[in-house]
Amino acid sequence: MNCKRTQRLLPLLVGSELPQSRISAVKAHLERCRKCRIEYDAYLLSLEKTKEWLEEVRQDWNEREWQEALRRATGKKEPKALSLAPWPFKKAWAYAMMAVFAFLLSLFLIRPSFIKQKMEPETGAIAGLKQEPEKMRKESQQDIISMTLVSHETGLRIVWFFNKNFELEVKE
Amino acid sequence: MKNEDELVEEVLRGDDDSFENLLCPYRQGMLSMACRMSGDWEEAKEICQEAVIKVFKHLHKFKKGKSFKSWLYSIVVNSAYDLLRRKKRYQGLIEGQKSLMLSSGSDPEKLLIDKEAKAKIDFCLQSLSPKEKAVFLLRDGEGFSVKEASEVLGCSSMSVRTHLSRARQKIREQFEKIYPAPESEVKA
Repeated sequence: MNCKRTQRLLPLLVGSELPQSRISAVKAHLERCRKCRIEYDAYLLSLEKTKEWLEEVRQDWNEREWQEALRRATGKKEPKALSLAPWPFKKAWAYAMMAVFAFLLSLFLIRPSFIKQKMEPETGAIAGLKQEPEKMRKESQQDIISMTLVSHETGLRIVWFFNKNFELEVKE
Repeated sequence: MKNEDELVEEVLRGDDDSFENLLCPYRQGMLSMACRMSGDWEEAKEICQEAVIKVFKHLHKFKKGKSFKSWLYSIVVNSAYDLLRRKKRYQGLIEGQKSLMLSSGSDPEKLLIDKEAKAKIDFCLQSLSPKEKAVFLLRDGEGFSVKEASEVLGCSSMSVRTHLSRARQKIREQFEKIYPAPESEVKA
């Protein structure tokens, strides 16, 4: 094996990627050739150092960022931190209490007018039904009916009175 | 300890906690891979977030008996490609690499002073194409076998070897800019 061919294989020899048959041939050449051995040592050193640096610069995730990355992937929601505030001061409680208070207030303020509005036609009808026989009774109790005739030309007023049998009655 | 196929089954049945158990062994690896692919920490998190969502969404497509690790990393690598493509970063990266190479070429001491491993690894990886970078990071960064890397990238083992060889050559060249070889060795 000549120097040119050996030097082409050196980058793979340092990482043990050559097949066994070639390794023995290259190593045999290296024992004979000092120049190629220096090249081999240079490759070995550069590779070792680079691997060392790669290990040195190896960085890990910040735990919070890693969890965030996983959460984004799985679509989980971020768990909410527990608040130490007592319950009356929590926002949710405050809103809930406000809603309850507003509801109760509306019961007192809006309810009577609402009832009145809703019940009015019902009471009117009931009242009408109740009033009707009473009216009829009152009418039946009426003894005298009067009829007034007024002349447009002279302004003369004639008042006729009738009894309940519709008989004309004379009144002073 | 449940195996990955069982965990996948549980997730498909609606157990979200199993999803975390399924991904937990790879959470660091996938982030590092994405970070090295994009060269930016925030973008890496974005890539991983997208990958995690895709994994959950398409978990029913995962074939039982296959390597979950390879499947997961293929999604991470593809998400990284997608993000880079979306942001039209390829061109920007190449231009950035060129400018960085020029600047480092003019002032290599600056890099020597900067002892941070990140700067060094970024400098070494910047000359690699996205495919070479992916192959190199999978094999030498994450310890994948050539076969696994070929599964992740959806290419042949031969293609992985070719890209890996090229990546190591380029990395060695970059490495020598940071740590120049002694004169005696160069002459020899």
